[in-house]
Amino acid sequence: MMDFFLELITEEMPPSHVNAAVRHLEKTLPVELFTQGLVDKKGKSGSFRVCGTCRRLIVQAEVRDQQPDREEEIIGPPKAAAFSPDGKPTQAAVGFAGSKGVSVKDLVIVRTKKGEYIGVKTIVKGRGAGDILASIFPKVISSISFQKMMRWGDNPFQFSRPIKNICCLLDKKKLKFSIAGVSSSDTTYGHALLSPKKIRVTSFSSYVKDLRDNKVIIFPEKRREKILNQVEEKLAGKNAKLFQDDKLFEKLVYDLEWPLVVLGAFPEAYLKLPIEILSTAMKKGQNLFSVVDGRKQLPYFIGVADACNDARGLIRKGNERVLKARLEDARYFWEQDLKTPLKKRAGGLKKVVDQEQLGSYSDKIYRLRKIVQYMAVKLDVMEERNHLAEAANLCKADLMTEMIREFPSLQGVAGGLYAKEEKYPASIWKAVYEHYMPVGLNDAVPASLNGQILSIADKMDAIIGTVGSGIQVTGSKDPFGIRRNAQGVCRIIIEKKLNMSFPRLVDNVIRVFGDSLKLPKEKIKSYCLEYFMNRLDFLFLTKGYRYDLIEAALSPGIDNIYFSYLRVKALDSLKESPQFEPMILIAKRVNNILRGQPGYKVRSELLIEKRERELHTSFLIIKENVSPLIMKGEFSRAQKMIFRMRPMIDGFFDHILVMCEDKTLQRNRLALLQEISKLFYQIADYSKVVVSD
Amino acid sequence: MSIQNLIMNLQKYWADQGCYLAQPYDIEVGAGTMTPDTFFRVLDDRPWKVAYVQPSRRPTDGRYGENPHRVQKHLQYQVIIKPSPENIQKMYIKSLVNLGIDISEHDLRFDEDNWESPTIGAWGVGWQVLLDGLEITQFTYFQQAGGIDLFPVPVEITYGLERLEMFLEEKENIYDLDWSDDVTYRTLRFREEKEFSEYNFNQADVQLLRQSFIWREKEAQNLIDNDLMLPAYDISLKCSHIFNLLDSRGVISVTERVKMISQIRSLVIQIARKYVENGKGK
Repeated sequence: MMDFFLELITEEMPPSHVNAAVRHLEKTLPVELFTQGLVDKKGKSGSFRVCGTCRRLIVQAEVRDQQPDREEEIIGPPKAAAFSPDGKPTQAAVGFAGSKGVSVKDLVIVRTKKGEYIGVKTIVKGRGAGDILASIFPKVISSISFQKMMRWGDNPFQFSRPIKNICCLLDKKKLKFSIAGVSSSDTTYGHALLSPKKIRVTSFSSYVKDLRDNKVIIFPEKRREKILNQVEEKLAGKNAKLFQDDKLFEKLVYDLEWPLVVLGAFPEAYLKLPIEILSTAMKKGQNLFSVVDGRKQLPYFIGVADACNDARGLIRKGNERVLKARLEDARYFWEQDLKTPLKKRAGGLKKVVDQEQLGSYSDKIYRLRKIVQYMAVKLDVMEERNHLAEAANLCKADLMTEMIREFPSLQGVAGGLYAKEEKYPASIWKAVYEHYMPVGLNDAVPASLNGQILSIADKMDAIIGTVGSGIQVTGSKDPFGIRRNAQGVCRIIIEKKLNMSFPRLVDNVIRVFGDSLKLPKEKIKSYCLEYFMNRLDFLFLTKGYRYDLIEAALSPGIDNIYFSYLRVKALDSLKESPQFEPMILIAKRVNNILRGQPGYKVRSELLIEKRERELHTSFLIIKENVSPLIMKGEFSRAQKMIFRMRPMIDGFFDHILVMCEDKTLQRNRLALLQEISKLFYQIADYSKVVVSD
Repeated sequence: MSIQNLIMNLQKYWADQGCYLAQPYDIEVGAGTMTPDTFFRVLDDRPWKVAYVQPSRRPTDGRYGENPHRVQKHLQYQVIIKPSPENIQKMYIKSLVNLGIDISEHDLRFDEDNWESPTIGAWGVGWQVLLDGLEITQFTYFQQAGGIDLFPVPVEITYGLERLEMFLEEKENIYDLDWSDDVTYRTLRFREEKEFSEYNFNQADVQLLRQSFIWREKEAQNLIDNDLMLPAYDISLKCSHIFNLLDSRGVISVTERVKMISQIRSLVIQIARKYVENGKGK
């Protein structure tokens, strides 16, 4: 085996690009190496590692010296032409053998679709690793695709940022190839600003050490550790913590090569601004972290520089100056905005277009008011109706503030904070504050019930509006945020256990649009339900549920999103029970018998056999017990109850011929099974469950 | 170092790198990118090196002289080199060192920022350069202008002169900057900021501006039809500034905004296309 090592130096790539490139290389390189016969396993193995910084992509691996030799057949003339009928080689055979450098007795017969031919077997020497790698790398590197690609100079090549240097070693010797006009060599460079020294690389371990000596830490986990240690040092004895922001933290880990944590301060006068605004002002532009004691903002910030030291405090002072100006702006916006009550601002929304076809934001607010009031009734919180309507009135007013012009990511949050300052009750300001949540796929959902209701209303309105205008929302991109909105609705309903009919909510939202939607109502509804079905399917998969259980739970349709979730959960919790699979098999058997049958009605006087009467009686009792459980969403208990029917069903099948001669009896038995099947279906479509056998 | 020394320093530095030193353009623009020395010269495949100061007007940024770092007119130092040289980052960093900045004592960062100007159908890929958290430069590999793919690729370096000067002088208020040894930024610019803020936000005649936008837009289209691309471009710049003034008067609705931007954009895209076609072989 041989070691190989590749390093690509570029100008500063965005952190998200570095991550995308690392993932791409981790995925494609092992496969490529395997296909070429240079490694045994297709997947990632222990000696394979890809990592990166904002200026480098690094690959290190172990490969075979060369491909294994392989046998190859070279086909010659047809057998009939190569040998005379008495088996003697003809001139054709002799000539073919001669041209391949073998004697006639070494020829073999090859059977092909077109008949028998003569041929020779030769051993093809495997190509050397160097040869192969030199052709793989340019291919793999140029196959990386970034969100936004660029060209530079007079180079037609496209990449994340310009490529500056390529260093590649195979078995401690340099491996030559070129990408984007840059030729590989065995040299690299230290930190572009702190130690731009040229370094000859002799092995991966010497590389790691030499780069460390020249202010580059190549492993992200080491940079992470270094940042955390320094943060701890800086905050020691201060009773203070970083205001956690994982996205910012990860961005910084990939945004530098030699982290230096800097602690700075700002005037306490700015502490009267809410922490949401302070932390946004710090993050935006300067990538600074807030420093807090619990939820209380302290007059400090933490920055992570790409530098050796800040002996004279210039980095700290510079950042303090910039931050002060930024906070001064934020304070100005805050005070300016508070001069005009939110209610008055909301009036100006008449002039702001939401989506071209859907009218202005005041139209939207009118709809939201109707939707939240509908939901208040359905969720049995009538007493909140007025507060919800008021929250709907106010929720978009912050679009008219200076603060949102400057920090659009504070949408909703800013409005909520202003409402709080204006002394609106918590059930109103929190709803406004939380109505955009959850923003990202994994971000928190609203904590307050009114926030949940307003958030669902806002999202459903956007979804129905977009779908109803005939805008195609399929495809991998999500320009109108429909997927994110649908995902948000599902998560709020599930995580907050909101028990309400979903199709009726859809009906209601469609209704409040009046006749401003382009597509017919039925079409919008069916499209919307199907879309949510797919989102739930995806959501449950990411939660780790078995795909067939998900299908079984969703197949009866989504009447109630929260219940759909409870259905999957119930199936999942019972899947290991000894009763489960036999019951599934029974359900499948019932289904098979009923396939293609029209509906019949049970007439108890026609139940003549003991076993069918037993089954019918136990069915009626169990149905009576199960139905209220289903209404309450207690699917696991309902299922366990149904399991109890098994002996009776088994007895029925063992002793009774369903498809008997007498058509009246036959139909009556089918009717009994149909009743049972209907009850099953209220819990799940068991026929979708895969049984292991 | 005063602002005028900063300018002289940059002029000398980029002239030494082979740039021709252009003079500021005499029509209101929002950024140095919009002047003909950049806009037209990046379109074709001929090499080009230029550097110049460009006063840039953004009426909505006015603060009546009350904000310590926001102004409705600021100075950009614009460098365009086509094709982008292999060592352009080093050249840029050296220009900072040349101003007396010891990089080893600071935190210099190239932070992703992909510049885009829909109005002139232009975008590029690059960074905002942060020096101890202060944005001092926009560094862009220009990919498209006037809707045309640019090749060879020009690099555009835009220094914010006031920002850079605030860093050099370690000052917190723009008006405290030294223009020269005995003239301050306040002396030169304070009254102008105050009066123009009043004009931009409250006094600019909306009726007149709307009318002139319509007339200017027509005029530009006429000039394009008569193959006069440079004048047509000047008039389009005027449309753009009128739009900015109407915007700061707060009278443009969302739909109107989209419409006006697309009108200007359409002019500029026609101009770029015809400029390249008519210029072939000249």
